[in-house]
Amino acid sequence: MRRVLLDTRYTLVGFPTAVIGFVIMLAGFAAGVGTMVVWLGVPLLAGTLVAARGFADAERGWLSDVLKRPPVRPRYKPAPPGAGRFRRLVNPLTSGQSWLDLLHGIVNLPFAIVSFVLTVVFWALPLAGLTYPLYGIITTRIPGNEELPQLLGLGDGYVVNSVFYFALGLVFTLVLPFGTRGAALLRAGLGRALLTGVAELQERIDDLAEGRAAAVSAEANALRKLERDIHDGPQQRLVSLAMELSRAQRQLAKDPEAAQETIKSAIAATRETLDELRALSRGIAPPILSDRGLAPALAALAGRCTVPVDLDVQTVERYQAAVENAIYFVCAETLTNVAKHSRATTCAIQLVRIGNALVLTIGDDGVGGAHVAKGHGLAGLADRLRAVDGELEVQSPDGGPTLIVAEVPCG
Amino acid sequence: MRVVVADDAVLIRAGLVRLLEEFGFEVVATVGDGDALVAAIAEHKPDVSVVDVRMPPSFTDEGLKAAVEARRRVPGTPVLILSQYVEVSYAEDLLADARGAVGYLLKDRVVDVDEFLEGLRRVAAGGTVFDPQVVSQLMVRRRKDDPLAQLTPREREVLGLMAEGKSNPAIGRQLVISDGAVEKHIRSIFNKLGLYAEDSDQHRRVLAVLTYLRS
Repeated sequence: MRRVLLDTRYTLVGFPTAVIGFVIMLAGFAAGVGTMVVWLGVPLLAGTLVAARGFADAERGWLSDVLKRPPVRPRYKPAPPGAGRFRRLVNPLTSGQSWLDLLHGIVNLPFAIVSFVLTVVFWALPLAGLTYPLYGIITTRIPGNEELPQLLGLGDGYVVNSVFYFALGLVFTLVLPFGTRGAALLRAGLGRALLTGVAELQERIDDLAEGRAAAVSAEANALRKLERDIHDGPQQRLVSLAMELSRAQRQLAKDPEAAQETIKSAIAATRETLDELRALSRGIAPPILSDRGLAPALAALAGRCTVPVDLDVQTVERYQAAVENAIYFVCAETLTNVAKHSRATTCAIQLVRIGNALVLTIGDDGVGGAHVAKGHGLAGLADRLRAVDGELEVQSPDGGPTLIVAEVPCG
Repeated sequence: MRVVVADDAVLIRAGLVRLLEEFGFEVVATVGDGDALVAAIAEHKPDVSVVDVRMPPSFTDEGLKAAVEARRRVPGTPVLILSQYVEVSYAEDLLADARGAVGYLLKDRVVDVDEFLEGLRRVAAGGTVFDPQVVSQLMVRRRKDDPLAQLTPREREVLGLMAEGKSNPAIGRQLVISDGAVEKHIRSIFNKLGLYAEDSDQHRRVLAVLTYLRS
């Protein structure tokens, strides 16, 4: 019902507004263009465009109600700093959106008329039908007044008319919401195309730019960290291994038993190096993920976690590598945090596909206090997710429990 | 004992061949990809094959697929899979046909020559050998009411070693307890988990344990 009233208000109030706007803008535009030659037209036109912007802003406000979208306002170019008075005056003329506002003000009139008429008709029919029993007492007595049921051959008289019209009114009451919605959308469609289309594009571009920056920084950070890990881990170990082996080589001649021992410890060191390399390559691109997808990969993660994990994966499809990677690394990083900082006794992971999004939920009963601050592991995760258009939400009050939700579009 | 070796890395292949021949095995064929492996096993019917998971052309789990295919063509041909990574879902592919004579070890285990060769012999004899890392992934408590929680720490150790495919004497040696004590633990474990298996048939016992852990 609220929907119907909103739509009705929009189309009814919109009609006089559109008429006023149309008059002002057409007149202003015509006068402005006509007097351009004597420079008088410049301020006239600029004024008209500013008025158009006012009407456009009002329309945009209504649009967000009718289309149930967050209100967006395109960016109007401000006058350059230090501009002279004339430059500031003609500034509206330089912005494309201003001209779109003007165009909308003029083209909007026929749309506003049509949607206004439609709305009035769709309200009039049920009102007239449902109230017929009240005024029908009078109208049936007018001599020579033929009513619709009589023309259709259903008979005549007050009762027949009342039943027929009341039923008709009921039918149109049911149609009313669709009628007003259609009328409102007819006008809103034009408004969206001319007034907020550009703004929506700008917002999308902003989002993408942010995502790209996040991706680039996430990748750069990952590479730096990888280099450091290789340097601190396997490289150092291999250097010490080479030293051990050369020591063993010298010992062989003098003291074979000591050489045995040295070689034995060298073999142990080799194994540790292999373990480290394995952990590193899992951190770059886990083979099981590319081979078999998310379900087995998450199971393997859960299997390596020191805290008992209750895993529930409700999707077996394969997704784009970027999406799978993002989900996997959120899971890996979070489990590492759970094992290191949370002091949790149990942890639950759930992965479901809801519509065109994959939703990963990780909860634990630990001490809480996780947050997406700079330098925290979670900040890197938020970046990773932004890079694939995803979002990270962390609820972790001090004292726990912690709940982390990652959502990634996978359409 | 006649062996087929499959690995796309020449260094590893050469190393394995040298190691096996030094200890009296006969390497009948060395191959570098999955199709060649299936063909070699079909042709030579070796006592056991040593197979790397990652091979061309796909460099994913080619070796594993080939091993499963070879076991379909030559039913129950013993295969020992070596890999840089152990993953439970790979182990499950090997266990799928429930015939035994399979093994799955980390490549590094080759460094411990005695253990590697013992595993190889056990697979050739129809047993089952799993890397401790696979078993520890399987042994993770998955739920709060997990029956594994009823086991004593010592019983959990025994169960883990059993899942790796170790024989009773080997388990006894590792935990420094008598054979009788090992048997007692195993009976108690099977009672607690509601499993049934004849103690005499070691391979069936391993499969029963692995099946339980995977469920």
